[in-house]
Amino acid sequence: MASRSARRQPYALTTPALIVIGVLFVFPSVYNVVLAFQKLSPYDTPGDATWVGFDNFKAIFSDPQIGSATLNTAFWLTALTVAIRLVLGLGLALLLQSQVLARWRLRGVGRTLVLVPWMLPPVVAVACWKSIFDANTGVLNQFLVSTHIVSKGVPFLAQTSTAWWSVIAIIVWRELPFVVIVMMAGLQSIPKEQYEAAAIDSAGRWQSFLHITLPNLRPVIVVVVLMTVIQTFNNFVYVWLSTGGGPGTYTQVLATQLYSAAFVANDLGQGAAIGIVMTATMAVFALIYLRVTGDREGRSA
Amino acid sequence: MKFTKSVVAAAVTSLVLPLAACSGSGSGSGSVNLVFRQFDPKGEVAGLTTAIDAWNKSHPKIHVEMQTLSPNNVQQFAREANSGSGPDIDQIGYADVAFLAKPKILLSLDDLMKKDPVPGGTDNLLAKDMVTFDGKTWAMPWTADTMALVYNPKALSAAGVKSPPTTWEQLAADAKQISSSSSGKTSGFCFAASGSATSSQWNAINYYIWAHGGTLVQKNPSGAWQPGIAQPQLANAIQYFADLFSSGASPKANQAVQDYSDPSIVNGLATGSCAMSYEPPATFAPLLKQAKAAGTTLTTAPMPSGLTDGATHLGGRALGINRNSKHPDEAWQVIKYLMSATTFKTYSQYPASKSTLTQLTVPESQQGFVKQLPHARSFARYIGSDMTVASIEQLVNQRFSAVYSGQSSSSDAAAAIISGLTKGLKG
Repeated sequence: MASRSARRQPYALTTPALIVIGVLFVFPSVYNVVLAFQKLSPYDTPGDATWVGFDNFKAIFSDPQIGSATLNTAFWLTALTVAIRLVLGLGLALLLQSQVLARWRLRGVGRTLVLVPWMLPPVVAVACWKSIFDANTGVLNQFLVSTHIVSKGVPFLAQTSTAWWSVIAIIVWRELPFVVIVMMAGLQSIPKEQYEAAAIDSAGRWQSFLHITLPNLRPVIVVVVLMTVIQTFNNFVYVWLSTGGGPGTYTQVLATQLYSAAFVANDLGQGAAIGIVMTATMAVFALIYLRVTGDREGRSA
Repeated sequence: MKFTKSVVAAAVTSLVLPLAACSGSGSGSGSVNLVFRQFDPKGEVAGLTTAIDAWNKSHPKIHVEMQTLSPNNVQQFAREANSGSGPDIDQIGYADVAFLAKPKILLSLDDLMKKDPVPGGTDNLLAKDMVTFDGKTWAMPWTADTMALVYNPKALSAAGVKSPPTTWEQLAADAKQISSSSSGKTSGFCFAASGSATSSQWNAINYYIWAHGGTLVQKNPSGAWQPGIAQPQLANAIQYFADLFSSGASPKANQAVQDYSDPSIVNGLATGSCAMSYEPPATFAPLLKQAKAAGTTLTTAPMPSGLTDGATHLGGRALGINRNSKHPDEAWQVIKYLMSATTFKTYSQYPASKSTLTQLTVPESQQGFVKQLPHARSFARYIGSDMTVASIEQLVNQRFSAVYSGQSSSSDAAAAIISGLTKGLKG
């Protein structure tokens, strides 16, 4: 029979972790839910809050702006950028793993260069891209005008035909290295023997990619999709700093709506309610994702 | 065990000591340390630093530490004050004083003013309506500013424009003429026109509306808030600004610019590719130096209709005392010093005190500000409803921007603004 102190040991060991989780995760989450049913300004103390029931949720669900912001968040901000990053990230990872680069001794340089955008803080990255996109002095416009592709500088971030594509360019550029690194790690873990066996069976490069590389990378791709979707869906910085949600409200996303409600209109309750809607959307996505991956793992077991 | 206890004690002490050092209001060797927080960029406050250094030299018993937290983050100050900390003296934008007064984050200054009055009295202070709530004074008006028309006289005369425009209609016509006569090399009128929440087009839009007898929101006789402009009048205002772009008077590139101090506007003025814009005094001073270095002449004039009472805004900064300050009397002494002519001899801002303003020599190129300031009126006219000024600003900027980018017509945008205001003002 274990001694009393031995029986207590697991609790003693897990308590610090539970306290940290409670203070840093559980309490803020629960408080955010409470806040969503209150009216409180950023200048008040929590004790000054007044209960408003479901008013904050009613307000956001009756706001047409939230609908378009949700669509923008799901399609432009998340789906498109994640898809582009996946394709480009896999392509770059394959290139960096290729024998050609190794032969030319460019693999190390290539890997370092790919990491550069990730080293820049997002705020700095947006500032650089804003300068590149500037209609008068931006490098891109100077190039386009000097090569007579356009007669006058294009205000990329201010017109509806280019605003979202410009934001996407910034996000993909800054966030691509993460995908490349994870994909490279995945590629390195594929046993070489599989490629050798395929080569013996006269499989071409495309067939090897399709039947060896992609199936082996599937778990990595799934993790990358989950992480980048959650990270991007909640992102505020890129849109707010590059377009401010404009032109008009064309690039408004849920995170910028949340910020506007909480810190421009000084309504923390409504901001919290939008936050809950965002979390719920992500939770649905995560559950579907876990279900799909769980089924797959079950089948493969 | 003893060793473990010692390690824990040392660790706790090392964590707590820096926190104690951060509190700012402590006193040692009989002197009082005060923290004064201001939010203007470091490049604009060299003169203020000089003034603070002079104070510290002449007042060894009251040491002031100037803390710069730029850009302005009044919500951070509120969070700190609500948790019992924060600087002793805080620089506050006029529009933010109301937020800090309502939950009594600031100390009411009435007793201090009674005990030790401001030289010249408070009657000669501008923007008093922005610092007085529920019959109490919560901050002292410190600096006063407004947006004046900054223009390049050579660019105007090259296009046959003899004097700066005095009406908005004239400004549009002159700007179009400048742009077309220079074949697009010089833009007639540059302004930040993005749809972001803090876009500086907000100033020009309000100036235009006020100059034409409207106002975005107003209190009706029964005390309820309502939109203060009819939809057709607002649609005209939107169309006016949209036409600046379609006529070529303003460059379309400005639709992506968020701030009057954006390099594309400031450099444009300095290098001569922009003939006219509007700037506050703090931006104009360094801009003038930049223009001189580039061989460009710049000067100021009142904005169109800027000499009409209430057609432009009176902005600036106030000084308040944190309710947690342990040394309010000393903080009040410092505030009085900061409001004096001595400070403004080195600090390149205009004082909110009219009597102090008369003691200063203002260069000819800045006379546009001086002429306009007595006619400017604060945004107090928008304060007190359930909608913050920042929310109104965001709504208006977004809808104007939607018209520039072809997403909606001016009448639809006007309807959306009126509807948004009506909904927001109801709370």
